[in-house]
Amino acid sequence: MALALSTPAVLWLAPLALLPLIVRLHAPQPYPSLAWLGGDPLSTALEVGLRLAGALAILALLLGIGGLHLAGQTTRQIGNGAHIVLVIDRSSSMDDSFAGSRPTAEQASKSAEARRFLRSFVSNGEHDMFGVAIFSTAPLQALPLTSHREAVLAAVDAIDRPGLSETDIARGIAMALSMHDDDPSAASRAIVLVSDGAGVIDRRVQEKLRAAFRKRPINLYWVFLRTANTRGIFEPPGAGERDVPQVAPERHLHRFFESLKIPYRAFEAERPDSIGDAVAEIARLERHPIAYVERTPAKNLSRLAYAIAALALALLVAARLAEVRITAERVP
Amino acid sequence: MTLARFDSKAWLLVVALVAALAAALMPPLGLQQDVYDIVAVVDITGSMNTRDMGDVGRPLSRLAAARDGLEQLAAKLPCRSRIGLGVFTERRALLLFEPVPVCANFDAVTGAIRQLDWRMAWEGDSYIAKGLYSAIELGANLDADLLFFTDGHEAPPLAGGRVPEFDGKPGAVSGLIVGVGGDVKSSIPKFDDSGREIGAYRPHDVAQDNRHGLPPAGGEAVAGWHPRNAPFGAAAAIGDEHLSSLREPHLRELAELTGLGYRRLGSDRALLDAVHQTLRRRSLVEPTEIGVYPAAAALVLLAVLYGLLPLFSRAPSSRSKLT
Repeated sequence: MALALSTPAVLWLAPLALLPLIVRLHAPQPYPSLAWLGGDPLSTALEVGLRLAGALAILALLLGIGGLHLAGQTTRQIGNGAHIVLVIDRSSSMDDSFAGSRPTAEQASKSAEARRFLRSFVSNGEHDMFGVAIFSTAPLQALPLTSHREAVLAAVDAIDRPGLSETDIARGIAMALSMHDDDPSAASRAIVLVSDGAGVIDRRVQEKLRAAFRKRPINLYWVFLRTANTRGIFEPPGAGERDVPQVAPERHLHRFFESLKIPYRAFEAERPDSIGDAVAEIARLERHPIAYVERTPAKNLSRLAYAIAALALALLVAARLAEVRITAERVP
Repeated sequence: MTLARFDSKAWLLVVALVAALAAALMPPLGLQQDVYDIVAVVDITGSMNTRDMGDVGRPLSRLAAARDGLEQLAAKLPCRSRIGLGVFTERRALLLFEPVPVCANFDAVTGAIRQLDWRMAWEGDSYIAKGLYSAIELGANLDADLLFFTDGHEAPPLAGGRVPEFDGKPGAVSGLIVGVGGDVKSSIPKFDDSGREIGAYRPHDVAQDNRHGLPPAGGEAVAGWHPRNAPFGAAAAIGDEHLSSLREPHLRELAELTGLGYRRLGSDRALLDAVHQTLRRRSLVEPTEIGVYPAAAALVLLAVLYGLLPLFSRAPSSRSKLT
């Protein structure tokens, strides 16, 4: 509960409120002799009361003009959810459909489909906080972890614009990890990686990622958008093919993630709908007790202040109307 | 006894009362408010790391100055304006998020602005003109006005100094090119692969001349010219492309070509004024509390009543009543 003013500068005028304490509003009336009139507590109270009413009217008007309000509050609540960084592939292959061709009327691009399902994922996660990182040739942090749903949706919307050329998954994940580093809360954390390909991760980079993952508990989900006629992440290589990252980078990235010994799930989506299934599953899994901040909006009290001023003024007007003038002939 | 005369003081009181009542009871009025739809695209190429902004005691890189300017602008925009953010390197702009209402998402927007970083750049090249054209396309796409923060340093230099053709309609997207940088050529910091600063760019680190495409007309006159082996002449290109300053003439030319405005990043107030002058306004009807006007009137009346009148009416007018 904190009272605040939008324009504190009005307080410079606050000394105006002293005027009614100094200046008498009703006309002084001459009277032959006051000596025989004794002290009258009622009159004194009336006098003080009217002066205070004047001061109150001025002060209340000032506060109302200054935008008196009850400051918005944030209260901590416990809900279900997690802090999730979405790491989204924006390589140019994401602009193609699942069939591996230019998007058509029936088949939207992979990025458009991903966008559709991620939107519903973000809108449904009531108490989740989201961050968005995109990666291609370089990782870019689109939005730090935030609870502003509208901004997250706007960042998700931006993903189905033409992408850049390559896929550097390792740096994308490193970016997501550093975004979690910037968030000091004790919430349950997750990274959701959405990509349609993988690359070979350098041995040294692998070690760095391993170390970074070890710093804090973090859940990893990989939604792999599999284009028709490409390798899956679960299939062993065919006969006569060498089982090396250069031949099957997706499968080896999957094995690398498994070797991290962290909670990790991979989803292979070959159709748009299976993105939806994967995302729904992630939403179901990422429901941990989480402290979230609920904001109560500021409450404007200007009207209340004006009403108080009006009341005080009404009192003064009433006193004025009740005032009588002692005329010469009536003096006892 | 008679009732007191209903004099000017009483009238003042009654009018003040009416005004205060009006302030307390008046419903909000739907007032027209002008808001802006902006997509801000920030140049994050290497030359933006040049520290020639800020003051002597606290030099600031151009990128940091652009971030500060944008953040302060976001804080001063009319509340329901929308702002989106993109970055530019190489030859195109990449959108980070679409325009969102600025007040409702303020910490997300400023958080995203604050983490704009040269490390996001995916290529070292900086084709400003092409990047600007792609940013204009982005603005047209989003139906938003463009704020393009750049120092105008083309790297590599434009071939033959010719500005690439703009194939859009000039003025179809309104907006501002915001020039960031100093007038004096300064050295550009250089970073290694892990992002550590390792000195400054030197003459041989950058392309001093663009020798792709056709040689300029009249190239035969250059020393050592040979039509096949040395169409640009035999001499190595020399220049000071490794130093950087704000290329204002180039940016003004681009602004003219594309129908955008040009403004140099100065005080945040100036940027806001330029936004007011250049960008399209969208009118919204916003319920606005206007109780402050009658309340101010009531306050003035009370000030007159308690302050001015007693000053002037020191005259013994009321004293002569007993005659």
